[in-house]
Amino acid sequence: MKSFFRFLYELIGTPQPPSETPVYREVIFPNVGLLTIGLSLAMVLIFYYIINRAMGVATFNKLRHWVIFLVLNAVLAFIIGIWQANSQAVASHSYVYWMSTWNAILGLFWFFLFSVLLKRGSTNASTTPF
Amino acid sequence: MHLTSSFRLLPALALGLLLCGCYSRSDMKGETSAASSPAETPAATEATTETGPPLEPAAASSSPTTAGVLAQVNVFLEVSGSMEGFMPKTAANGSNTRFQQHVAQFLSAVNRSSAARKNYFRIKEKPYRDSYQQLSQTVRAGIQQPASSTNIPTVLDTLVGGYYAPNTVNVLISDFIYSPKNAGAIPYISTDVTDALNRTRRADLAVSVYGYTSDFRGTFYPALTTSVKKINGCCDTDIPYYFWVIGPADAVRRFDAALLEKQPAQQAHFGVKYPTPASSLLNRFQNVGSWYYGEKDASKRTAGASYHTVAVSSVSAREPVEFVVGLNLKTLPGLYRDLNYLKTNLKLQAQDTDAKISSVFAATDQTKNSSGAENQYTHFVKVRVTKLGKAARPLQLMLNDQQPAWISQWTTKNDSNINQAGAKTFALSSLVDGVAAVTSNEQDKAPVFAIPLTLQPAD
Repeated sequence: MKSFFRFLYELIGTPQPPSETPVYREVIFPNVGLLTIGLSLAMVLIFYYIINRAMGVATFNKLRHWVIFLVLNAVLAFIIGIWQANSQAVASHSYVYWMSTWNAILGLFWFFLFSVLLKRGSTNASTTPF
Repeated sequence: MHLTSSFRLLPALALGLLLCGCYSRSDMKGETSAASSPAETPAATEATTETGPPLEPAAASSSPTTAGVLAQVNVFLEVSGSMEGFMPKTAANGSNTRFQQHVAQFLSAVNRSSAARKNYFRIKEKPYRDSYQQLSQTVRAGIQQPASSTNIPTVLDTLVGGYYAPNTVNVLISDFIYSPKNAGAIPYISTDVTDALNRTRRADLAVSVYGYTSDFRGTFYPALTTSVKKINGCCDTDIPYYFWVIGPADAVRRFDAALLEKQPAQQAHFGVKYPTPASSLLNRFQNVGSWYYGEKDASKRTAGASYHTVAVSSVSAREPVEFVVGLNLKTLPGLYRDLNYLKTNLKLQAQDTDAKISSVFAATDQTKNSSGAENQYTHFVKVRVTKLGKAARPLQLMLNDQQPAWISQWTTKNDSNINQAGAKTFALSSLVDGVAAVTSNEQDKAPVFAIPLTLQPAD
């Protein structure tokens, strides 16, 4: 698990400053990775199963509504990155923002992936985004 | 579309994933603190295992005045004629010599010290028991009946033979001017000292030598009597005198720390063992290049943890790696805390790498007041690396036990014209060599301390 997240987050390069590498690899990457996957899954479930199924809202199933959730998910993923890095008190470095930006992009990916996997279970939005 | 019951469970599953998947600082600490607590202070545990059972734990040895009270302190003051100049009768203007000032203070400090028993002796041809008051009076008012001459090997033999006991130190205060019976015996001074100290074969014998200088008002008796027998109305120059602390290594170390470290003095130590000082790599203090702590639990950043593994992710001549090792040398005597001594005698033993010590420096107000880990350390060693082995390699940072330079500087081969020779002692280095031969193994001289580090490529 740790090595998977290490691989995923080191696609943009090794952590900076190098002295913080153990904290990033052992704590921050797994934390941020799991939180982001969980967040994306929760957002997808809210969109497809709560709003567009359990609550039966009929006017929130268009592509633009899905995009609102997608962007919100990315923003939250960015905040998760900053928050986790700060809570581990790593040395401040622009890498924190790069890592968070990368996490926002990963958030987009997870949200898209879960959407494709789970959209069929929704009553009102089973064809969103396509 | 109809939902199966397992689909209904999905939100709950997601929530479960969210909650249990997260590591947080506090719960990581919680689950590991129990497991790792015995290993949290590797330096301290090392120190205790190395020094063996007679020592109190390393934590206690950092404050020797309170820990393990010495059973006995014996102070021997040499009262031969050559010492009279150090202890002249009080001058008309009430001035005394620095020797009188210092030794009177020292005797008072011994008398106030926590040692269980304190004995005071005048040394003539043999030791004579005095009270503290009597000996202090001798220092202040001068020697009543000076001995004609004392023979240093004989005195040392007496001390080591008759007064050596566990948890006991013997302090010999003398000018250590050793004049052999004839000139032919001069080359054998060090052998005579070695033999004297070795006669009773004390395994843990240790000697600390403290050198001081004092003004001298009286008759100076040179060791070399070929040209002059004595110099009256001496001296224009200061004359050295010495405290030799003789006893078991552990007792000598504690006595030194408690009573002799506060005042500036030249010092040399033979056979005294010191606990390995606390040390750690510092990853946020003057670190350069791509390296990080290689310890498995480095990410926990436990408070007060120390690190000794350098994991280097990339290094080259253009992008060197520099790391700093913090050392807490508080428990070592002044000689080994001296920056010049450290600069010349701190050595790095390495394999397959060009790791070198690039600088050695002492703590400053800035490092002491810093919020980083560097605030725990008194000295810092910066190491520079541009080349690395293919796998983990041991790296040893050690302080060599080198005879300090002052010993040869304070030695003269001819003291018959002491005013020109200056504050020097006849054949001092021979005396000291004699001590060193007893307390150290000639084949390999043990370092004062050695700190094992590991240098490895990052995984």
